[in-house]
Amino acid sequence: MGAFSMITDNPRPRPRVVVVGLASCFGCQLQITNSEPHLMELLDQIDLEYWQLVTSEDMPDAYDVAIIEGSVTTRESEDLVRRVREKAAHVMAIGACAVTGGVTGMAENALARRVGEVYGDAVPEACGQMIEPRPVDAVITVDSRVYCCPIDARDFATQLQRVLFGSNAVREERALCADCKRNENDCFFNQGELCMGLVTRAGCNARCVNRGRPCFGCAGLSSAANLDSTRQACERYGVPAARFDKALQMFSQVPLSQAGRQGDDEPVAGTAVGKGAR
Amino acid sequence: MLYRVMDKSQLPALVRGFMESYEVVAPVKRGERYVFDTVDSPDQIALDYPQTASSAKKYLFPPVEAMMRFDARANLVQDFVQEVKPRVIFGAHACDISGFNRLDLALAQGKYTDPYYAARRAATLVVGISCMPTDTCFCQLMGADEVQFGYDLFLYDIGDKYLVSMSSVEATNILEACCEIAEATDDDRRAFRLATRRHQAAFNPDIPHVEDVPMLMDVFHFDPFWDELGGRCLSCSACASVCPTCYCFDIRDVLQEDSDAGVRERTWDACTSPDFALVAGGHNFRPTGRDRVRHRMYHKLNGFMVNHDRMLCTGCGRCVAACKADIDPIQVLRFFDEKGARDDR
Repeated sequence: MGAFSMITDNPRPRPRVVVVGLASCFGCQLQITNSEPHLMELLDQIDLEYWQLVTSEDMPDAYDVAIIEGSVTTRESEDLVRRVREKAAHVMAIGACAVTGGVTGMAENALARRVGEVYGDAVPEACGQMIEPRPVDAVITVDSRVYCCPIDARDFATQLQRVLFGSNAVREERALCADCKRNENDCFFNQGELCMGLVTRAGCNARCVNRGRPCFGCAGLSSAANLDSTRQACERYGVPAARFDKALQMFSQVPLSQAGRQGDDEPVAGTAVGKGAR
Repeated sequence: MLYRVMDKSQLPALVRGFMESYEVVAPVKRGERYVFDTVDSPDQIALDYPQTASSAKKYLFPPVEAMMRFDARANLVQDFVQEVKPRVIFGAHACDISGFNRLDLALAQGKYTDPYYAARRAATLVVGISCMPTDTCFCQLMGADEVQFGYDLFLYDIGDKYLVSMSSVEATNILEACCEIAEATDDDRRAFRLATRRHQAAFNPDIPHVEDVPMLMDVFHFDPFWDELGGRCLSCSACASVCPTCYCFDIRDVLQEDSDAGVRERTWDACTSPDFALVAGGHNFRPTGRDRVRHRMYHKLNGFMVNHDRMLCTGCGRCVAACKADIDPIQVLRFFDEKGARDDR
């Protein structure tokens, strides 16, 4: 293990790690391999016991850290993450699907109708017992998260290091625009175009806008997102608020509908999300 | 202050003169906006820019900078060696130079000097340029429409010529070596006086001048106005990102991938961020948008005034453009102006 243990004379055993893929495109697991220049350095610090993307073997029975990609869409995967939770000391959710329900979460609304549209009466057995897609933390307690669709390889490395060495770093909860302004990007709203940065959790350094694309909100809603004020801002800049609400569904359908169910009588789309929204 | 005049055609020679021994950063057009960026030719400079999207503060106080490096293999902590590039900020408006001067009060002239800022400030020459106010400019209300110090040269546009205020030997030597400069004539002096009048007359009259803003803020600390203004905050801190005077920062350790070494960085932070006032134990001193926006406005228009006898706002108008929720100091001025008008009735 690394030099820290040499200094402290307290050799840390390398944690046994498993990487589990649920409903997703497996793009976030692929992103881990994209940390190519440093991949061996990362792997050198852990005992990678299982990586679903690269093996046909069964998952081992004992491990310390479980990294979960994808959303929970079946009873079977619900049971799986519960079993994982019992065994792992630390569960890390990676990518939008695992963290917010992501793109798969769009099917959360009217699942039965959608299943009927795709399969008719003959749902293949391989589909399992389908349930409304939900993020991993809707089923079990999640200890850490790597945001975005797909995840950033460096973000993943940082989060893994926090698991290895511990960290009390607080993750910023603000919305994205400060990063964009710091990078001196043109604002899409000034051209009357929708950008989800106004409500999206910061941390990606406005990667998409830096490359000329509006933010889609893949990091999920900031816990301080101010949806009502954002709707007003949209209208002020010539973007219909309805377009904003529709765009929210791509990565935040599940959190919004959960907030709607738990909250008072406000309609789903009008409900502030999270502790910081006031 | 010493001053001379130079013909506008001399400007490229002046820029090239600086380029011989400095990196030159200047306003350039990028897409729909203007930004301060490194230039390698005088042609790239857009000296008639209305306002840049962000201030030139980034050259004195970068968004992210290394404070120290550590290496666990060698059990080594190494103070970051300043590698400060000698630089000229060419074409700063008076509001931005005033912004530097206000940053100096907080970071370079206080009880504790910030060595990172001070080193950059010392290695940076500033060449100012006169401007015409835009619709969102209110520097004259914040005492930032003219500067008497904090620059090396200041170029006042007087038609075909610049009246050049010379404030440092270093820059004056380059000016004299590269350009033909002359004593001002009576015509030049007249042109300067007319130009300053045109400048004064061009400010947006809809932005009200309010007497005693700091005291009014104390008196109306609990007015529902703050709920209204802060209630629409999007908690993004775009305002602070473009602000020429925000100087708050956070510190974080970043490990390299093999976890053997890393760097301690500081990065811009802002009181408008939801977790800025979050402390150990989980208490947040300013948990709502109202608390945070009010705090920001107080620091800008009240608190800094109490300590340093000037606002921490230069009226540059950048946050007016950056904030999609219409929260900016002009809203505060309007509130007090309208409140005053109501109370008169």
